Formats: sequence, C-alpha cells, structure tokens
Amino acid sequence: MTLDQFTDEQLIVEVRENDKEKYAEIIRRYQLKLSHYLRKFIKNSDELEDVLQEVFIRTYRNLYAFDVNKKFSAWIYRIAHNQAINHIKKNNKGSISLDEHEWEIVDEKMDLKKEVDVGLAKIRVGKGIASLKDKYREPLILYFFEQKSYDEISDILRVPTSTVGTLIKRGKEALKEFLENK
Amino acid sequence: MTIQNQTEKIVMGEIKSGRVKLRSKYLFLVEKFGLGSALILTVLLAILFFNLVLFYLKSSDNLGYLSFGNGGIFAFLQSFPYLLVISFIILIFIAGFIIKMTDFAYKKPFGYVAVGLVSFVLLCGGILTFTNIAERIEMESYNPRMTGRFMKPFLRGGLGERAGGVAGRVVKIQDDYILIQTPNNLIKLFTTKIDESFRKKLQPGMFIMAIGQNTKDGFEVRQIRIVSEQENQMVRHGVHRRFGNFINR
Repeated sequence: MTLDQFTDEQLIVEVRENDKEKYAEIIRRYQLKLSHYLRKFIKNSDELEDVLQEVFIRTYRNLYAFDVNKKFSAWIYRIAHNQAINHIKKNNKGSISLDEHEWEIVDEKMDLKKEVDVGLAKIRVGKGIASLKDKYREPLILYFFEQKSYDEISDILRVPTSTVGTLIKRGKEALKEFLENK
Repeated sequence: MTIQNQTEKIVMGEIKSGRVKLRSKYLFLVEKFGLGSALILTVLLAILFFNLVLFYLKSSDNLGYLSFGNGGIFAFLQSFPYLLVISFIILIFIAGFIIKMTDFAYKKPFGYVAVGLVSFVLLCGGILTFTNIAERIEMESYNPRMTGRFMKPFLRGGLGERAGGVAGRVVKIQDDYILIQTPNNLIKLFTTKIDESFRKKLQPGMFIMAIGQNTKDGFEVRQIRIVSEQENQMVRHGVHRRFGNFINR
C-alpha cells in the first residue's frame, strides 16, 4: 500500500503507532491548503510561515487527541483557525488580497454588482472581507475560498451547522452593504 | 526553497530530533475523563442544590412570611436562601461552560443544550423531593463532620434570627408577652397590639410565626399566626435540637 492510498485518518494511526516519518505525508497534503487558508488572515509571508509550522507542530503533538472516526481535515483546519485567531489578536488585521481564481469565485458565488474596474473591485472586496466581524469573515472564507461544506465549517468553527448558514448569509449581506456604501 | 518545502523540512526536523514529541495518549484520556467527571459532578451538585432550595422553601419559615401580605416581605427577603440559589445558578453556569468546552454539544444550538440541561436538573431536583435526601443533609449539617460543616452555611439561613420575623414554639403565655423557643434562643414576643381573642387560642407547645420588629428586650409583634409543625419543619428540628422535644424541659 503506497502512501497515496492511505486516508488521512489511516495515516494518523500509522504516525501515532508505527512510523512518525509518515507525518511528512500529512504535511505535504495540507501545507498548500493551510497556507492558502492562513493567507486570508496573515499577509506577511514570514509570519505566515511561522504560523504554518506552529500549526503542524501543534497538530503532531496532539495527534492522540484526534478521534480517528472523525474527519482529520476539519480537525487540522480547526487548529489552523485557532492559530490564525491568536495571530490576529496579537497583530492588527489588514485587507485581504485575492488572487485571480479567488476573485472569480467571489464574483460568481456572491453575485456582487458588476464593476467596471475589476482591479479596483478586487481590492474593495478584499477590504470588505477584512472589515467584516470575525464571526462572519471566518465562515465566508471557509465556504467561498476553502470550498468547505457547512458540516465541515461547523466542525472547524465549533458552531451548529444551522448557524453556519446564518453566518454566511449575514456575512454576504454585510459585504454587499460595504461595497454599495463605499 | 518554497515556504511549503521549508515547512516540511523544519517540522520533520523538529520531530526527528525529538524536540517535538507526541503528547501521551493517557494525558488526553485523563483530560477527557476529568472533564466528563467534572461535568457529572457539577450536574449532580446542581440537582442536589435545587433539591435543597425546594426543601428550604418548603420546610423553613421563609415562604410562611408571605402569608402576612406586604408586611411579611421584609422577613421573607431576610430568610431567603440566597447562598443556595446563587450556588445553584453558579453550578448551572459551570456545567454549561464545561459542555461548551467539550465536543459533544457544539453541533446543536447552545440555547437548546442549555434549556435541556436546566430542564434535566429541575426535573431530577423535583423528583428528589420524593426522597428524604434533603432532610438527611439538613440533619447532617448539625454534625461536626466535614460534610456537615460544608453544608451548614447553606442551610443555616433557615434557622437564623431575623430583624422582621420570628418563628418558634410557644412555652409560656403571659399578659403582655409570649415566650417562645426558637432554634437559637428563648424570645419574648410583646403582643400588646394583638387581639386578646387570638392570645386565648395559644397553648404551650404550639408553633407560631410572627412579623414585627426585633428589639433589645424581645420582639414587638405586629401580626402573628399559628402554624402546624409540618409547615415549619426546619424550625421544629432546630427547636428540638436546642431545647428537646418536651416543653419546659
């Protein structure tokens, strides 16, 4: 059985009980995704790298706390989320920079009003998301940019699934209001 | 080198060197067990305290003062079991906090969980009133043992002296006063404002409740009524403990 064939959860059992070097595979699977996610909170690349390393170290240390019957992805995102929040608390938050792909997602999924100057609109959407309250910003980022389901967001943010829907809806409304008023 | 490659190298380097280690699974088990035990203990204590609140209200003189109307409110407030009620509320908050900390309830709206928790505690506390647990705790509170010493402050309010009310057993009836035994002392009730026909109904051994004002020499009665022993069980227990079961003994 090659490493690719292992599920995340099987890999965790292996790392815990047999081979800690298999943790490198977990890092390979999640470093891009988490780096992408953390970039929504941390602009500075050095700080981002530090936080990302801390996420993997914390995850490794606490592997026995993970219930292998649950989704590992949600668990590690939860750790990344907590680390990002801690980082934000220590530092001032700035605007969020969106790349081309993410801008398309925002435009398509959020049904924002058409902008003549797309470049300007991108900056404004980034600023708009950054200006949202944390409780709206976090589910919006997870849903629109990380493509997480309501259930996964519920696991990551530790809120009921129904609340996730409400927060995303209100977040979208707040973002639209921001864009219309600015 | 990209951030990603560097991250893998640094993190795996820390792990292989042994500087970063897995925390023992027993540590997590203890943590989980500890939280579970704390939750169970808190809920059990909340049930017990709610049961004691009901017992206190039922068996102390507290609610009896309300039967005097507005005049009895002061005595009611003085004898209210604040410590028991506050402890009960704090226990409910602690249980809610532990539930929030644990994983099993976050999928459900916390409001529902809180309502469920409070309903469960109230129901179980209510069911416990059919047992004699509260009475046994009250008895225990007179013992010098640790559990007795722990429970005493919670129930002592049911037997304390109040500035605006008094309850006890009649031992002597004189022209201008009635002598009663309370869980704390012998008290003279000055009854000059009381109807003579009521005084004639009084007999030694009867239990009474009165509102009025505590003075240096005794208690100036404004309103008084005879109560059954069942109404004032805590007072009766207190009086019996202090003076015995027989009048004039």
